[in-house]
Amino acid sequence: MFFSLLAFLTFNLEETSFCTLGFLTELVNLRIGTKEKAIRFHFGIKEMSGKLRVGFDSQTSSKMGSMDGRSDHEFEDESLVSPMELTKMTNGLTGIHHGSFSAVEQQKSIDNINTSLLRSLKVILFTSKINILMPCGPLAVVIHHLTEDQGWVFFLSLLGIIPLAERLGFATEQLALFTGPTVGGLLNATFGNATEMIISVHALKGGMIRVVQQSLLGSILSNMLLVLGCAFFCGGIVFMKKDQVFDKAAAVVNSGLLLMAVMGLLFPAVLHYTHSEVHYGKSELALSRFSSCIMLVAYAFYLVFQLKGHNESYERVNEEGGQNEGGTDDEEVPEISKWEAIIWLAILTGWISVLSDYLVDAIQGASAAWNIPIAFISVILLPIVGNAAEHASAIMFAMKDKLDISLGVAIGSSTQISMFGIPFCVVVGWILGRPMDLNFQLFETASLFITVLVVAFMLQEGTSNYFKGLMLVLCYLIVAASFFVHVDPSPVQDKKP
Amino acid sequence: MMRPVDEKESFAMEVETIVDSSVSSVKRYPPEMPHNGPLSSVAYSWILWRILKRLSKSIKVVIFGTKINILLPFGPLSIVLHFLTENHGLVFFFSLIGITPLAERLGYATEQLAAYTGQTVGGLLNATFGNATEMIIAMYALKNGMIRVVQQSLLGSILSNMLLVLGCAFFAGGVVHSKKDQIFNKAAAVVNSGLLLMAVMGLMFPAVLHFTHSEVQYGKSEVALSRFSSCVMLIAYASYLVFQLKSHRNLYHPIEDEEGLNEADLDEDEPPELSQWEAISWLAILTLWISILSEYLVDAIEGASDALNLPMAFISVILLPIVGNAAEHASAIMFAMKNKLDITLGVAIGSSTQISMFVIPFSVVVGWLMRQQMDLNFQLFETATLFITVLVVAFMLQDGTANYFKGLMLILCYFIVAASFYFHTDPEKDD
Repeated sequence: MFFSLLAFLTFNLEETSFCTLGFLTELVNLRIGTKEKAIRFHFGIKEMSGKLRVGFDSQTSSKMGSMDGRSDHEFEDESLVSPMELTKMTNGLTGIHHGSFSAVEQQKSIDNINTSLLRSLKVILFTSKINILMPCGPLAVVIHHLTEDQGWVFFLSLLGIIPLAERLGFATEQLALFTGPTVGGLLNATFGNATEMIISVHALKGGMIRVVQQSLLGSILSNMLLVLGCAFFCGGIVFMKKDQVFDKAAAVVNSGLLLMAVMGLLFPAVLHYTHSEVHYGKSELALSRFSSCIMLVAYAFYLVFQLKGHNESYERVNEEGGQNEGGTDDEEVPEISKWEAIIWLAILTGWISVLSDYLVDAIQGASAAWNIPIAFISVILLPIVGNAAEHASAIMFAMKDKLDISLGVAIGSSTQISMFGIPFCVVVGWILGRPMDLNFQLFETASLFITVLVVAFMLQEGTSNYFKGLMLVLCYLIVAASFFVHVDPSPVQDKKP
Repeated sequence: MMRPVDEKESFAMEVETIVDSSVSSVKRYPPEMPHNGPLSSVAYSWILWRILKRLSKSIKVVIFGTKINILLPFGPLSIVLHFLTENHGLVFFFSLIGITPLAERLGYATEQLAAYTGQTVGGLLNATFGNATEMIIAMYALKNGMIRVVQQSLLGSILSNMLLVLGCAFFAGGVVHSKKDQIFNKAAAVVNSGLLLMAVMGLMFPAVLHFTHSEVQYGKSEVALSRFSSCVMLIAYASYLVFQLKSHRNLYHPIEDEEGLNEADLDEDEPPELSQWEAISWLAILTLWISILSEYLVDAIEGASDALNLPMAFISVILLPIVGNAAEHASAIMFAMKNKLDITLGVAIGSSTQISMFVIPFSVVVGWLMRQQMDLNFQLFETATLFITVLVVAFMLQDGTANYFKGLMLILCYFIVAASFYFHTDPEKDD
């Protein structure tokens, strides 16, 4: 299915959009040409490394020589490279070269597209070791149709989503490199937690409200305890001589924001549990929906605030993020073209969606097969999948003594989920007619509140060492253990579709 | 060293030589045998005499060295009462009073030993024996199956450290230095209270799980979770010690140096008063004696509760910890009055952290070994009280200043907490 999809797209491209591709390529070149300095400054693009590239990037002519030595893969690369070189050399002279450019493109467009697709496939699929897990996805689908072993289906789809989530992050970064800090930030904000959102929407569709609540809650808990703890621990082990320092002010602001978001989420639960609603059960749902709309408004303002008012600090973080996120962009230009990034974004999202469908369907069966409470699966196992990529990158940044970025990743992700992910699910549930609310049940609510409070307090002094990381990880172990012996007083599925 | 001179004047002349030699042998061990001649029996009797003198000096130092030891006779008295009468109230009361000086002397002996063993082992010693009294009482209560007493006494110890000890210290220090606010090392206080908060969080989850009625097997899985959490907390405590003593030695040097210098004020002007072996043997004797008294104490709790008409919760949470904390209480106040608030904070918060990260999980593990159902489910009221207290105090320590009003507020809060335990009964039957 995957390859047929690819073939379909290839044909489409071939038949209808080669001109567009060519035009856009030139557009991007022009844009990059004029903003070259800005982009190079922002993303610290210094020189090209030995990797393959599609050939449109912001090098100057002085780097042309180095390009030749690099394209050692396929002979078509050279042909691809040359028209681009031509384009670059004549940056700014739109009229004449537009025409000649298109002519050249038309002749080699098919080849170019083929090779670029092949190359982007190579870049996307084969550059990261984690993609070894990719076959687990189709395997899960196969097993689902062949056997009734839900445990295996669940496990394999879990494993299969991990590389896809990571590649999604990669594609988002790449796209962000093209769109500038503002839209890039927005992109990161939206697609950063795309995996969790997709899983939640599928669970909502299946009427598994508790799974949605618990998986989102578990995502926040895992970000604040596990990801942060591992990052602090690894960073502390690497830098054992002294405490690592991070920007106290930013951490305090972000955790204050998170605390307020969590407070907004708590009131419906508190209302429900003090048995003081006007219409028992119903007004709490209405309150949840109202609160969610308000939280979404707050989130919109948060984005505006971050992207406009505090552009500088965000750019600085973004630039480092663009430099280092995933480790692939270090001193490099984007590896895939803009449209490729968009297309890959769409493909990966689609594929994640398909796998999530099987994943969510298999949850109950897996819980029965492995004898684990559904709460444990939703709170602990599901978020590990969604957070795997952020986890790895946070640890890596901590080990490079860039704790600010780790913190930004961890707390930013938690804030996003609590201010955007959860309210968004409530609204989607409203639209789908499901009674998804903010009443997370007493134990989960208490855990969330306590965790956020304690971590916010602990981040206040601006230093970290391996012991703090160890404490956080151990606390996460305790939380995980308590969910292992936790059973919901209410049933998991409130409504069967 | 004035004391040997005094002794010299009050004993016969041959004692003088012995005392001289024993004075020097406090510092160095090579036994002087000036008269190692043909009369070995004389030598033996001399050795015996010298040992006796050393013992009596040691006893003088340890037992008669502080005024609080006036309370020492209460210990044996309570035992006598226990066998003579059925008046559990008096037995309880007297053993309570009797343990107090023993706990103080235990702390003294620990210091003395720490002066010999250097920073690392000294820190470890302080960490282990710092709360020895609470641990001993908890072990006895566990043996008797009085789980609630154990939980409440340890909880009460944390509350008393954070509210009463700290409050009295701030108050006393603020009254003495009423011109300006006293300041303390904000960073260390924040780090320590963050640690305490995390430890309390680790302790809270079993209770929260139980009270949201969301366990897989009601009652049982919560005990299993408590045991798992306790093991995790013990690992955390071990790494805490490693961290404190190894990696961040510099951070803790100044405080330890000051502690070595100032604690009980003895080491500042004088070298350690007890020899290393004396310190160890006194440690053993005092621990043994405290154990004996604790046994009578724990046995008398229920009877005392009836006789004195006090709820058991009140006795466990308020009265028992006062005993265990009395020595720390006194030293914390003294340091605050000398404007050394960092040490006070270290004592108070360090003790609370030790109890929450070591003593409580240790009790759970010991209970597991003894097949008692000791768990971390401290019941809703106690858990809520603990969390609120730790949170509020942690917040309050953030600005790094102290004055008598803050101290007064803390003490008054402690009174409110004590009063609420006065009116508190457990929803279910004890044990």
